[in-house]
Amino acid sequence: MHIPDGLMDPLVAGLGWLEFVVIAAVAIYMSGRRTKDKDLPRIAVLCAGIFVAQMLNFPIGGGTTGHLIGGALFAIMVGPVIAIVGMTVILLIQALMFGDGGLTAFGLNAVNMAIIAPLMGWGVYTMLKPLLSKGEAPSGKAFTAGEAFAIGAGAWASVFVASAACAAELAVSYAVSDGAYGIAATVSVPAMLGYHAVIGVGEAIITVGVAAYVLKVAPEMFKSTASRPAATIGLKSIFSSRIAQATVAILIAFALALPLYFIYSSEGADGLEKTMEDAGIGESEPLLTSPFTYGENYFAALFAGILGFVAVALLGLGMMRVLRAGRPAE
Amino acid sequence: MIVAHVRGHHTRPEELDEHARASWLGRLDPRAKIVGVVVFVVATALLTQTELILASLLLAVSFGAMSQVPYRHLIRMYLGALPFILVASVSVFLFSGLERGFDMWARTSSCVLALLVLASGTETFELFAGLRRLKVPKLVSALLMLTYKYILILGDELERMKTARTARGFKGGRGLLDGRGLRIISYTAGMVFVRASARADNGYEGLMARGFRMDMKQMRTSRLEAGDFAFMAWFACLSSLLVMFQLGVIQ
Amino acid sequence: MRVLNVKALSFTYEDGTPALKDVDLTIEEGEKVAVIGPNGAGKSTLLHLVAGFRTPFHGSVSVMEIVLDERTADKVRRHIGLLFQDPDDQIFMPTVEEDVGFGPVNLGLDSVEDRVSRALRSTSIEDLAKRKPHRLSHGMKKRVAIAGVLAMEPDLLLLDEPTAGLDPRSRSGLIELLRNMDKTMLIATHDLEAVAEIVDRVILLNGSIVFDGGLAELMAQDTVLEKAGLEPPQISKLFKRLRGMGYDAKVLPVTLDQAVAETVRLADREKGRSRDRKT
Repeated sequence: MHIPDGLMDPLVAGLGWLEFVVIAAVAIYMSGRRTKDKDLPRIAVLCAGIFVAQMLNFPIGGGTTGHLIGGALFAIMVGPVIAIVGMTVILLIQALMFGDGGLTAFGLNAVNMAIIAPLMGWGVYTMLKPLLSKGEAPSGKAFTAGEAFAIGAGAWASVFVASAACAAELAVSYAVSDGAYGIAATVSVPAMLGYHAVIGVGEAIITVGVAAYVLKVAPEMFKSTASRPAATIGLKSIFSSRIAQATVAILIAFALALPLYFIYSSEGADGLEKTMEDAGIGESEPLLTSPFTYGENYFAALFAGILGFVAVALLGLGMMRVLRAGRPAE
Repeated sequence: MIVAHVRGHHTRPEELDEHARASWLGRLDPRAKIVGVVVFVVATALLTQTELILASLLLAVSFGAMSQVPYRHLIRMYLGALPFILVASVSVFLFSGLERGFDMWARTSSCVLALLVLASGTETFELFAGLRRLKVPKLVSALLMLTYKYILILGDELERMKTARTARGFKGGRGLLDGRGLRIISYTAGMVFVRASARADNGYEGLMARGFRMDMKQMRTSRLEAGDFAFMAWFACLSSLLVMFQLGVIQ
Repeated sequence: MRVLNVKALSFTYEDGTPALKDVDLTIEEGEKVAVIGPNGAGKSTLLHLVAGFRTPFHGSVSVMEIVLDERTADKVRRHIGLLFQDPDDQIFMPTVEEDVGFGPVNLGLDSVEDRVSRALRSTSIEDLAKRKPHRLSHGMKKRVAIAGVLAMEPDLLLLDEPTAGLDPRSRSGLIELLRNMDKTMLIATHDLEAVAEIVDRVILLNGSIVFDGGLAELMAQDTVLEKAGLEPPQISKLFKRLRGMGYDAKVLPVTLDQAVAETVRLADREKGRSRDRKT
């Protein structure tokens, strides 16, 4: 999912950089507070581990292979904040060592793979885990089937939502630039989502496998944030609940897409029409046209749908939590 | 639509760094190289007029040709990035016409090429050092340096594990439904982490025992010289020209 | 000056198992001391503790008259050169010469380039200066690590199993290097033959100090060695057997040189006896 330079509309790329810098700065600040000097090599080692793990191919079928992104794995092991910093480092090294992923596009790549992926992975995992895993792990296994599912779901969601964000960025780029940049929504969305829905399954399986292995053999690598003492005052105590944190994480992931929507609705809606005109006037006849009436509302509808779905899902999960609890949130 | 994932096959052949050290490009100050290429790439990303994009592509190709980076490597890396570029170009072509499709292909190729030359023509560690001197925060650059070191070590271990695996008859999984295949792959990945973990604690002591102060410092730091300024000036001038044409400041 | 002064040192691991008990140890400038003992005896721990990586502990440790505690650990480390068992744990830079210079640069020492070339020369790896450390053989990596430590010009060298994992040629090269080096050192090792060639003084550690003296003295005490689970060097075993067969050596040799001298003496004595018998 590493986007090269020149593909995205400069406005969208600029937005990506803005979002990246803001969130990365916050993440770096928070990491600085949570980690001691001693932790530096450990984080570096984990970054290297994910980097190297990304080099493994897993088969999808039909001779194609996919690769681990690792955002969810990273976040489940060390928490989302450090995972954001770590994934950023990985992307930087990939860009400078292999030229993989662009420079102007670095902001967007980082938003997708270093911010959205870990946040979604950790958020979904944290939300599902207490609902699905009851009791101790069966002997010889690292965790219950329920927790394994939570990890897998988190990993799948991290890949899927990151690719959805990427598709949205491509689509908005296309719309906003009158077709000079990006990829039209009717192509980018199904292609990205379809492909990554499958890749996500591989990521889920491998993430669960790796987590199980490492948890059994070297559990000290899972540095959980649960060990930090919860604050006792007001707003802070609400936010120290892990479920609440997970909710915030997921919401942030989706909120990052919101500015895209605003760009689109202010500049893009006309853009799509204009593209259709251009296509008619252009030197060569285009081979495809997207369905006009559907096209104009397609993107907006998709966006609203996704946001609505997420909101309802979170609300539902939250209610389930409250109903079955009676226990205070951890 | 199948977009091939070539990233996993990325390797950085050893000779690259040897070439880099010997070439004029490798000897430039990393800060100058980063600044020059960034300016070029930013400018190119802003271009939508076909003639300008072509000019940029020409510039990138000549940069590659003069850089003394082995052509075969550049071509191989470019082919790795090509699928994504092609998908975008073909899609734009289908929706907006041939010229737009060509623009997309040429523009992205130009940027990718420039970045490839930067990445292949300089030792990676030098680039990190350049970033540090361009004021990237200490934590990030220390992380870059350490992660890079461990990537080299773990990468070698992974190769050894894969060889051992193959020597015991593992031929890769067949698909997502091949449970055993996927399990072995995840155990291989898991082993990488476990071995990594043991190194982490010793790593801290190793650093402290040599006086490390959470900041990557180099023995010899290069200074900006005439060649560096020339490099930056060349790219800065041409890039601004291109942008000015694009924005209509010049006709 | 006392380079190292350890008094009544006791240390337990985090899980409660005792590592060191009541250790007393002093090392004067120029001394080369080996600390030997079975696995788990605390040798490595002792070295890492002296380097300031294991706090808190009971008792007192001072290096170059600086008392070691959490606050002074950094200061103490400026006088110490710790060589890890695995050289990869302390090699960080992409070329050999940059890595050798890593320590001096971090510590802000002067004339880094000179220090680096001197260190490379003294470990005979000048031709490796521009190479990538992670591609070198284990033996060469150890030399790079040693060079890196020497470049900091520490007052006390702490070496953790320096000969472990080396092929015979590299091992003898390293032994030669350490033997000729004019530095105060404390070597933790299993390799008694190396010990014999390098040091004058041996400490047998098994949680606490069981023996502190010359190696030949130690070799004469069979039960001590056996209880510690240690194997004497081949040369000592050879001459013990010879002694049992009536060929008595005045002092049990431990080094190759001593063995040669003793063998020549025995051979001459035998020659003399057989001549006497003829006449």
